[in-house]
Amino acid sequence: MSTTTGLGQSPYSVQVGVPAAVLKAKKVRRRLDLTLWEKLYVAEIVRGLVITSKHFFINMLGFIFPPAGKKRKVFTVYYPEEKLTLPSAYRGRPVLVAHADGSEKCVACGLCEKMCPAHAISIVAAEKAPGERYPARYTLDLGRCVYCGYCEEVCPKEAIVMSDEYQGLAQGDRNLLRFQKEQLLRPEGKVKTRLYFVRRIYSKWNY
Amino acid sequence: MELLIFYAFCVGAVVSALLMVTTKRPVRAAMSLVATMSFLAGLYALLNAHLIAVLQLIVYAGAIMVLFLFVIMLLNIEEKEGKLAKNVFFIQLAGTVVVGILMVAMVVVMNKIGAPVAGAAVDETFGTTKAVGWMLFTKYLLPFEIASVLLLAAIVGAVILAKRRIDNSKA
Amino acid sequence: MLADLIESLAKIVFIFTVNVGVFAPILGWVERKQSAVMQDRIGANRADILGFTAIGLFHSLADAVKLLTKEDFVPANANKFFHTLAPFIALVPAISAFAIIPFGGRYELFGREINLVIADLDVGILYVFALAGLATYGTVLAGWSSRSNWSLLGGLRASAQMLSYEVAMGLSIIGIIIVYGSLRLTDIGAAQENFFRWGIFLQPVGFIIYMTCAIAENKRIPFDIPEAESELVAGYFTEYSGMKFVMFWMAEFLEMVTISAIVTTLFFGAWHIPFVTDAMLLSWFSGFAGPNGAAALAMAVNIAVFFAKVSFFIWLQMTIRWTLPRFRYDQVMRMCWKMLLPLSLINLSITGLVVLLL
Repeated sequence: MSTTTGLGQSPYSVQVGVPAAVLKAKKVRRRLDLTLWEKLYVAEIVRGLVITSKHFFINMLGFIFPPAGKKRKVFTVYYPEEKLTLPSAYRGRPVLVAHADGSEKCVACGLCEKMCPAHAISIVAAEKAPGERYPARYTLDLGRCVYCGYCEEVCPKEAIVMSDEYQGLAQGDRNLLRFQKEQLLRPEGKVKTRLYFVRRIYSKWNY
Repeated sequence: MELLIFYAFCVGAVVSALLMVTTKRPVRAAMSLVATMSFLAGLYALLNAHLIAVLQLIVYAGAIMVLFLFVIMLLNIEEKEGKLAKNVFFIQLAGTVVVGILMVAMVVVMNKIGAPVAGAAVDETFGTTKAVGWMLFTKYLLPFEIASVLLLAAIVGAVILAKRRIDNSKA
Repeated sequence: MLADLIESLAKIVFIFTVNVGVFAPILGWVERKQSAVMQDRIGANRADILGFTAIGLFHSLADAVKLLTKEDFVPANANKFFHTLAPFIALVPAISAFAIIPFGGRYELFGREINLVIADLDVGILYVFALAGLATYGTVLAGWSSRSNWSLLGGLRASAQMLSYEVAMGLSIIGIIIVYGSLRLTDIGAAQENFFRWGIFLQPVGFIIYMTCAIAENKRIPFDIPEAESELVAGYFTEYSGMKFVMFWMAEFLEMVTISAIVTTLFFGAWHIPFVTDAMLLSWFSGFAGPNGAAALAMAVNIAVFFAKVSFFIWLQMTIRWTLPRFRYDQVMRMCWKMLLPLSLINLSITGLVVLLL
């Protein structure tokens, strides 16, 4: 994807995404007033029925005689057995990134705590050595988290990122949704794609 | 067997009619009237007048009473007990007079027709759609047409009353 | 006398079993599965017994168990009597309308003439309209007695809609009655033995109007404004649960079956196979089955053909339901009074003229 910022050009023509000339979109002609033929409804309804029943019959054929070797044409995912591979842009539950030795990258600067619009993060800072801070306690209340990703955006150390985890967020007890530091720590390898994504997407703002 | 059903329908019709008159809640009264109509339809059916029975259900129970209910639901959503007017006496007097006139008219009509002969043979086609239609369009054509003109006049009147007034001053 | 009673009972039991025992639960499954297949999905297939899912058929069973064991909830301020009465009023016409629909011809079996219809009434199709008129009360009372704003709005919309569409529906059928000269559905069915005398060829406009009005009468999409779940939660049956909810649900499906049966009987040759008369069936079967066996086989063929046609129209209604979006309330009313009613009147007068001239 080529992304061009408005810098250096006219400030009013900021272009994001693929330029329109590259796209070969089908032009749709939309009229607000209907012709008499369309006002009669019946023909148009039959046209709609033909489209839907075409899907019906093709799919029925596929169900009765499954085409060998071909992947089925339905878009259903059998959820607990099958899982989608989520794109790196997906913002799941925020997690803390750990060093190779298992200690957190977080330096307890408190930026995420301040930034969080839902006040879901609370940090108790402590010092390992003089001048070297770490979070003694890092509590993330997922009952409050709105998955905005501000914490990830503001973190100077890439210590908190949005993971692709979305399970286990339905609990009968709100206290179970208060995740502690130990529950949130993930090895760096697990969130690598997201880290690359974060670097790419936020770099354009030239922080 | 037929007599038993007849009496069941009769009792039902009378009881629901009484309920309709005595209850003070509009929806209940309307539903009692529906029940009365349905029982009357049953009575018609027992009299071999199937077409009339079905028409009774379609027109009175199915259409007119639904409109009644519609209006009741629109106007009086809360099931309040309806208030009677203060001057009950005149209303009662008016009711008595109207019912009296109806009674007299009925007695006159009954005397003119004469009592049905007991055990009179009823034609096989009696009460069928064909027979009723034949009667309507031959023997009773004039009353039928007059009734239809009357209904047309009522429809036109209703449309004119319900129509929005067009402001002629602007045109 | 006793034989008559047994014959009627057998027919009633048969129709009741087919409608309530087969169509009503199966249609719940069909609705889910067909919508899924039409939308490139798979549909309900998780309910299983010992690992067997039977392509989702057990969902009907699971539904039944769930709904029967649910709490029967009545809102605090509701009118309990009418709240309980309403689903019955909705369900009974839907079931009993099938009484006059012929599902086969007239045959001689063991010296008895057997007419494959429960009640061959002289008023015929008018009986269905009478019942449809009464079915309105179920909806209206459910809406009113629940004492909920959603229900009341649904009930109001339903009463206006059903009343309006009854008019156009009645007028659309009169064309057919004129053509065949009878109100009896058995007569109309028997008259369609000739393929070129099927109602659809004689009254195509009447078919379209009737189908539209019937779907509107049944309050299904695209005319489901009385229950419009995106506007009114569930409309007139918002406050219903458990068994009473099932009754509304069953009434809707059974009405669908009834509509299909009436469309089949009036417009699509009833129990007849195109170009095959009942006499031909009998002569084919009597070659190897004897007169009684031939009659029985012909009956079976009649019934199978009739219900195959009914199933097709149920499929058509489902397809319409999952294809079209909902009309707005004013559009529904405008369509009825300004399009369908004049159209059916024009259709009626043209039919009358043609029949008079021919």
